[in-house]
Amino acid sequence: MKALFTTAFRKTGLLLMLMMATSLATTPLVHAAAPGIKGSTFDLIAQPAFITQPDGQSVYSWGYGCAPGTSPDFEPKTIVGGVCNSMQIPGPTLIVTEGQTVTVNLVNALPAAAGNTSILFPGLQVAASATASQPNASCTPTTAIAQGLLTTEATHGCSVTYTITGTTPGTRAYYSGTQGDLQIEMGMYGVIIVLPSTPVKGNYVSPTQGCVADLESSNSAARTAWGEADFRLSTSAYDDPHTCYDREYLFQFSEMDPRIHEAAFEQVSAIATCASSTTNMCPTGLDVPTEPYHPAYFMINGRSMPDDMDPNYSPQYPHQPYNGNPHLHPGEQVLLRIVGQGRWQHPFHEHANHVRVLARDGNLILTQDGKALAGPALFTTTTTPGQAMDGIFYYTGRGLNWDMYGHEVASSTGDPNATLPCIPDANGYNTGNPAALNYYEWCQDHTKPLQVSPFGDVPGGGPATLPDPNILTNGAWYGGSPYLGPDATTRATGATGTTPPSGTIANSPSGEAGFAFMWHSHNEREITTNNAFPGGMMMMMLVDSREFQIDESN
Amino acid sequence: MSRRIVCAIVWVFVAGTAVAASAQSFRVQCPPSTITHPNAANNNAEPAYTGATNGSTYVYTPGGASAGPVNGAIKCQQISGGDGYATMGDGTQTYLFAFGPLSGLADVANGLPGTQFPAIFNTLPAGPLLPGDPATTDNASTTTTSSGTFGFNGAVGLIPNLDSMGDGNCTGAACIDGHVDPRQIMDVGVMNGNVPAPLMAIDEDDEYFLTLSNVGMIMRPDLFEQHTVHFHGYPNASSFYDGVPDASVAINIGGSFTYYYLAPDAGTYFYHCHITPPEHLQMGMVGQLYVRPRQNRVPSGTSVFMALQAQQSDPRTACNPNTDILCTNPLPYSIVHGTDNSPDGGFQAVDPATKKPLADPETKKYAYNDGDGSTQYDVEYPLQIHGFDPNFHFVGMTFNPEGFADMKDKYFLLNGRSYPDTVTSGPLTTQSADGVNHFSQPLPAIINIPAGKKALLRISDLDVSEYQTLASLGIPMTVIGINAKLLRDQSGNNMYYKTNSITLGGGESLDVILDASDTTRYSSGQVFYLYTPNLDHLANDAENFGGLMTEVHIL
Repeated sequence: MKALFTTAFRKTGLLLMLMMATSLATTPLVHAAAPGIKGSTFDLIAQPAFITQPDGQSVYSWGYGCAPGTSPDFEPKTIVGGVCNSMQIPGPTLIVTEGQTVTVNLVNALPAAAGNTSILFPGLQVAASATASQPNASCTPTTAIAQGLLTTEATHGCSVTYTITGTTPGTRAYYSGTQGDLQIEMGMYGVIIVLPSTPVKGNYVSPTQGCVADLESSNSAARTAWGEADFRLSTSAYDDPHTCYDREYLFQFSEMDPRIHEAAFEQVSAIATCASSTTNMCPTGLDVPTEPYHPAYFMINGRSMPDDMDPNYSPQYPHQPYNGNPHLHPGEQVLLRIVGQGRWQHPFHEHANHVRVLARDGNLILTQDGKALAGPALFTTTTTPGQAMDGIFYYTGRGLNWDMYGHEVASSTGDPNATLPCIPDANGYNTGNPAALNYYEWCQDHTKPLQVSPFGDVPGGGPATLPDPNILTNGAWYGGSPYLGPDATTRATGATGTTPPSGTIANSPSGEAGFAFMWHSHNEREITTNNAFPGGMMMMMLVDSREFQIDESN
Repeated sequence: MSRRIVCAIVWVFVAGTAVAASAQSFRVQCPPSTITHPNAANNNAEPAYTGATNGSTYVYTPGGASAGPVNGAIKCQQISGGDGYATMGDGTQTYLFAFGPLSGLADVANGLPGTQFPAIFNTLPAGPLLPGDPATTDNASTTTTSSGTFGFNGAVGLIPNLDSMGDGNCTGAACIDGHVDPRQIMDVGVMNGNVPAPLMAIDEDDEYFLTLSNVGMIMRPDLFEQHTVHFHGYPNASSFYDGVPDASVAINIGGSFTYYYLAPDAGTYFYHCHITPPEHLQMGMVGQLYVRPRQNRVPSGTSVFMALQAQQSDPRTACNPNTDILCTNPLPYSIVHGTDNSPDGGFQAVDPATKKPLADPETKKYAYNDGDGSTQYDVEYPLQIHGFDPNFHFVGMTFNPEGFADMKDKYFLLNGRSYPDTVTSGPLTTQSADGVNHFSQPLPAIINIPAGKKALLRISDLDVSEYQTLASLGIPMTVIGINAKLLRDQSGNNMYYKTNSITLGGGESLDVILDASDTTRYSSGQVFYLYTPNLDHLANDAENFGGLMTEVHIL
């Protein structure tokens, strides 16, 4: 009988995955990038709201949002339908340009019992003041703000203004500077991205012009040739020719102990309805214990898996607008902006390749002569509370020792894609024709077989005998064959992939057939949602062949 | 339209064949030759590295040969996926979900990798193997308890393919083609779980065939769990062989799956099951895996710098920081610019004419293709950090629902052992629920360094719940690599640093050299300690003694 409970846990997980897979199947587009809001003034408000978790719980939280009535300028422009509610977790991603001085107005609309609040912008120059126009008539410049331990705070119902200058480019965390053990736990954090003032782009010309890796032009040409839009905020992460990129994603890691949130909600409610009398002294502030700490929710961008793989600005999550569901093509240089929020470290493991750390907290890590990168290359990028890192990831399939496109010289189907040529550049990749389906193929393995005797129209004579599909269980993101892309998969196994059962729904053999990789916290307990697996800090990253159009617009 | 019809025909063909092949379950794969390693006679030893395999313009053509010399060999291994028991430092028997050895049994029992060349993998035992082997018999007599003379290193289960033989398709050794007798796999594989899982070690340019045979978890028949192997940290892995069940295929009970990889760049990797990771990793399905560099195969007396230059001519082995942002072993700056001709402090032999470092004639052991000899070592020790929550393991054995949020490790392990078991030589034996002794923890964690020598510690962490720190009391740690990458900037400057402690979370690895070459400071007979300054981790559950600690002995 007890065994049933365990099974039930597993079934819940399976159900979650099926639900997730179904939602993907009905939404063929993919959504990710690093969306945010841009401008010289950010009108923010701190408010309570309930966020949702995949176990069905609504969790009382506090967060930053856009002040009602303001119209934020959403970036990148290629993502439409941007929403900035008056409370969201993480807070709005603020996008500014290097050297720009911006104004951040913060209204404290937290419950009165929560007291003051504020924002810290570590690593940036900040000046704070009370503004003349206050939302609450009782606020005056002298009562509106209070000097807190770490920064100037807005008192209840009033606002504070921070003037910040984006001195150097990069990704940095912002978060509450007031009673951080409670306010950050409640969700008061976000990211500010400073874009370089003179971003580098194009092919290499000289040490001061063009991207060192010489990929930006041809990858941009491939994007255009395959009809894809550009979802970048810039072309390089820093004013440095080693930091060019083709795609970018932002990941914020945080955790929640639901008991803290419940206690905060109970006390806020009790104080709000408390009738003070001579015999009944009402408490005026919260007394929520934040230790011992037992988090049960582990989130990336405020969502737990599988919710994190739903689109940005998805209406199901009005207070959790940002997702985590990266897609990329072979050869693309992908900028990862990874930020630790919350209070724990998390070993974020990127399957499929290493990540070159460019910078920490906006500080580019270069060799002593400044001519080359000196940050480590990591397969597990540990997130640390308050710390941000920028890194570059790519995938090419170099050295697999078999052709992942399944090219077959003697194609029996006559499929022209089976016999595409591969002409190596100096680095061994097929980059001459950005419009080719196998643009960026690794040429040493071109037409090299994987299977000893394949059934379909892919080369034979290789090293591996694949087992009978009946002894295997297919995952929801299995593309249906060992090969990359719908054309190769269909040639290898047929349009439905190697089944039974036809279990591949999130990564259709005939539609996407990407290589799916899990990106997750490797403190594996954290890939659960309130004790149920799967969940938590986990997402799938897909490497897609050029046949699949990566569309991050909403 | 014609293409669609052809596809449909192909699919019908596939479906039909799949049904016809459904009798297949357990099997192993270890071809003596492949298109990459075409000469079977050359694949049972590592050939010397004398030049790049292919040039920058090379494109494979069917039937064609490589442009240069064939490098590397073929390596094979078989492991079981199932369950077992281990003995904790306080004597408690702990239930495991675990991988166990199904090849290289003798080597694994001796603390060595179970990875074998085809000529060894594809051999048959002297007699039938019995449950618990090699802890129970020596495979010469079925009644003798193993006395360390068990010598079989082939794949468990292999038998001649009698069908193929009867059809006249093979004779003699050629009939040992991967066909197995499942009884042998079940006899040896059931309850033979090891923690850590069997050690794997391959060389760059090797083709590696790893067969996972799922023998089921006898103590948890309700679970009918699949298992997989995730090769953690493999650059440019394919998702098919990445072992993530959601993104690929998972192996049902009674089935075998052979993972195929060309060895990635040298470094300290590790592997684990990727099914329900918080559960399967906590329960023990974690193991060590490392890749040795080409530089070990450079002939004595030749320059390791020139060998690294030779690797630059093959784009697969080249490292060009201007075009590859993940390149971590560019040519060493000090030698290219002549700023230091004995970068290893004079320890490394240097060619008097060219002033370039020579391959060390004595050990020829390096952690990476450094080109300057700076990662040379004499002895190596894989050390895996892990933690067990006894509550979770008890719940895992007793059909109870498991909670994850309050997981709390109480046993802190190096190579599956807590102090003082870490310094016990030879395999630890645990009697399982079947009443049979098994070698549950084959890998000691004691570090023995010959006086005047250097030890490479390949440290990985697969703890599921928290970060752990390992400190060296005595010899400083020189960190030379992180996450299977040489610690060198993209200009070629070594970024090695000395420290007395390292901190890792689950899913991280790094390489540390303990340099005892100064015999005035580190002399024969001295004992130092590796221990965790997370002081609450120096305990074996309720015993306030033990935990994450081991000894370093200067011999």
